[in-house]
Amino acid sequence: MKRWRRAWERYRRQTRFLVAVYLVLMALAGGAFWLFARLRELPPEELTNRLLVFLLWWFDLTLIAVLLFMLLRNLTKLALERHHGVFGSRFRAKLVLSYLVLIFGPTLLVFLLSASLLSHAAARWFSEPVEEMAAQGTALATGLRAQAEARARRAATTVARELARVGEGRAARLATLERLHALLGNHLTGLWRDGATVVELQDPRAEELRRLPALAQEALASSGQRSERAGGTLVVRAWEVMADGSVVVVGEALPPELVAAQARLAAAGAAYQQLKLQRTAMTATMVLGFGGFALLVVFAAVWLGLHLSRRFTAPLLSLVASTERAARGETLEEVPLPADDEVGLLVESFNAMVRRLKEKEAALQETVHRLDTVLRGIRTGVLTMDRERTSVIGNPAAAALLGMPQLASRPLALEELAAAGNARLVETLRSAAGPVRGSVTVEAAGVARALELAVLPLGDAAQPQGWVVALEDLTQLLRAQRQAAWSEVARRIAHQIKNPLTPIRLAAERIARHAERGGESLSAVVPQGCAAIVEHVQAMQEMVDAFALYAKLPPVSLRPTHLGQLVTQLATLYDGLRPNLHFRVQDHLGDQQVMADPEQLRQALANLFDNAAEASPDGGEVVISLARSENEITITVADRGAGIDGSDPELLFQPFYSTKGRGSGIGLAVVQRIVADHGGTVRLLPREGGGVEAVVTLPLD
Amino acid sequence: MMVYALVLAAALPAAKPQDLEVSLTPSPGRLTVQLAVTHQIPEEWSRALVGGAPVSITYRLRLFRNRRWLWDQRLSGHELVVEAQRDPLTGVFTLIARQDGEVLASGHAASVEEAIHWVTHPPPAAIPVPLRHEPLWLVVRAEYLTKYKLLVIPSTVGTQWVTRAVPEAP
Repeated sequence: MKRWRRAWERYRRQTRFLVAVYLVLMALAGGAFWLFARLRELPPEELTNRLLVFLLWWFDLTLIAVLLFMLLRNLTKLALERHHGVFGSRFRAKLVLSYLVLIFGPTLLVFLLSASLLSHAAARWFSEPVEEMAAQGTALATGLRAQAEARARRAATTVARELARVGEGRAARLATLERLHALLGNHLTGLWRDGATVVELQDPRAEELRRLPALAQEALASSGQRSERAGGTLVVRAWEVMADGSVVVVGEALPPELVAAQARLAAAGAAYQQLKLQRTAMTATMVLGFGGFALLVVFAAVWLGLHLSRRFTAPLLSLVASTERAARGETLEEVPLPADDEVGLLVESFNAMVRRLKEKEAALQETVHRLDTVLRGIRTGVLTMDRERTSVIGNPAAAALLGMPQLASRPLALEELAAAGNARLVETLRSAAGPVRGSVTVEAAGVARALELAVLPLGDAAQPQGWVVALEDLTQLLRAQRQAAWSEVARRIAHQIKNPLTPIRLAAERIARHAERGGESLSAVVPQGCAAIVEHVQAMQEMVDAFALYAKLPPVSLRPTHLGQLVTQLATLYDGLRPNLHFRVQDHLGDQQVMADPEQLRQALANLFDNAAEASPDGGEVVISLARSENEITITVADRGAGIDGSDPELLFQPFYSTKGRGSGIGLAVVQRIVADHGGTVRLLPREGGGVEAVVTLPLD
Repeated sequence: MMVYALVLAAALPAAKPQDLEVSLTPSPGRLTVQLAVTHQIPEEWSRALVGGAPVSITYRLRLFRNRRWLWDQRLSGHELVVEAQRDPLTGVFTLIARQDGEVLASGHAASVEEAIHWVTHPPPAAIPVPLRHEPLWLVVRAEYLTKYKLLVIPSTVGTQWVTRAVPEAP
């Protein structure tokens, strides 16, 4: 049973199987109807008509039923799919409805028009002129026969009257019969008495008269006439009963050609009448036949429309299904190529896109893997923060720096990060409005760390998609730098102290030596030695003051400062410091103000002016130019001195470094510190044509 | 098929009412039925007869047994077909009556009135009836033509079905 059910389920949906079942059912129904009709012994023509009409009815109604079922099934399915929002259902519904309108409208119109034409054509076939012609044909045949009968009847009456006049003599009657037979041109002239032939005269050309059966005795009881078919012609016989009981019989055989034409005319009239009786059946047959054909066309067109709508939308549905799977996070797969047409081209383009995406996805995975490996291996901490700055996740180095191992495995809220001793870092992250660089101190897990950080927005800086934070641990570096700085300071202080100590010691030893000898020279040596000692101690005092000055520089106090006025006033003081030495200011700032500490900036510029004045030869000129670029101010102090003697310019900014052999060597160091506290830079560049250019840049904001 | 049957069923009651006289003469095991159509024959039928086309009237006879609690049981069905055709050459009408395919009677008529009278008053048909004392019904109808309404819906032109109780045989 299950096997049959499985077989049925397998064949149920096959179109060929359904068509075969339909044909078998139709054949069975037709055969059954034919047997039924034969059992009832219907006339063949009636059987044909009824069977044909029945089969056409059966065919048409089956087609209508199948068509309605197919339409209702597909339209219901489409409506449900549209109700559930299945992709492609709207397109398919429009396509199917368009097909139906395009098919049903013209087909129904053509069918109605054709049915009307057929009906009117059938009516015209049986129109009044044709009816009249058929009737006249029949009337003509009837008239010819009636005319022949009347002629025979008159001849019989004439012969009977003449025989009655000549009396009952046999010879006289025979002579009269022969005379009248020849005179009237009868084909048959006879005299009967008591049911037997007395005499009978026949035209030898009318052989049909010989084969005629004798008239019945009862028919001869009264006068009359009869027409009979005989040998392909029509024979008319009339008889007249005489007073003595004798019967005169006169016959005439119509010409065979005339009778044949008459027969054809009558047969055509009969056939016409028979067709007229079947007119409605013929019309029904034609209309049903044409209707069946129209239904077949509609069925084929609807089936084709439904098939095409499915065929058109199937690849699109596959595309959508693939993209929906990709949207759900599943793998994007290629779609089978439906055909070599525009839809196929679309699918091929989609498949090419899928292949490219897969390649890019593989490359991206590889890049991500490589980046992940790098991030896990580097000592720089990297944090990624979402756009809303609510959570953050980092690499193992960042987790170690911030003392939160879980940071490397899952996103953490910023509040959680702040509570673990990274409050200043979190504050910096939250306040960053764009790219930020700076340093911050955190106390993660009880350990203080100095971190250098760089915050960069992901994507557009105006609307970042997220943030990336790079953390560098500067604790060890700062400690080493601090130790190196102290060592350098100690070395330089020792060097600076060592220089005056030697002459002091030599002066003291000379005084002591002269004191042991005694003599007059002591009084001269002691004042000289004390003066030398005092001079070198004074130098040491100046060195210590300079050191104190460098160490005690206060923090800058920024306020709006008119830089042009400040430089001009200072240059005015230095102008003429030495004979023929001029300070010239080229001010391109106008009334531009900058945020600066005017006292400290004046001190830094004075140091630069001192150096320029010392380096410049007599008659020289120091040019101070003020210029502005997009976001910074540039102050250039140019002299025509000996220039930089090939040493590293950066060494000139180190404290207690001097190439002049005098002074404390702290001036340029103070300049660099003040400019750095303003967020600017200072550089020493060789000037074209000889000399040095000291270039100071200060940020506008 | 069902639709076809429904269409036929709807078409049959639409037949025009015709008069049909039925007289029954019972005898043991047989019932003689004398039929006579008293209504005017359709004009197209008469015209076809005069024109020489073969025409016929089919008398359908159906015998039912009345059952008290169930529907009537159909015992037998018979057809009496009376055919008439005029020979246009001789003007003689040939008449044949067949009952269930067997020739019952035949004859000739010289005029159309005689021929129509012959076919509307066919020779009596004898049909077998069961030898049981049960109520029997004979349902009879005369059919002339088959037409088609609205071009394709079949419609039979004939008398209405006439029901007569079968009298008991003496």
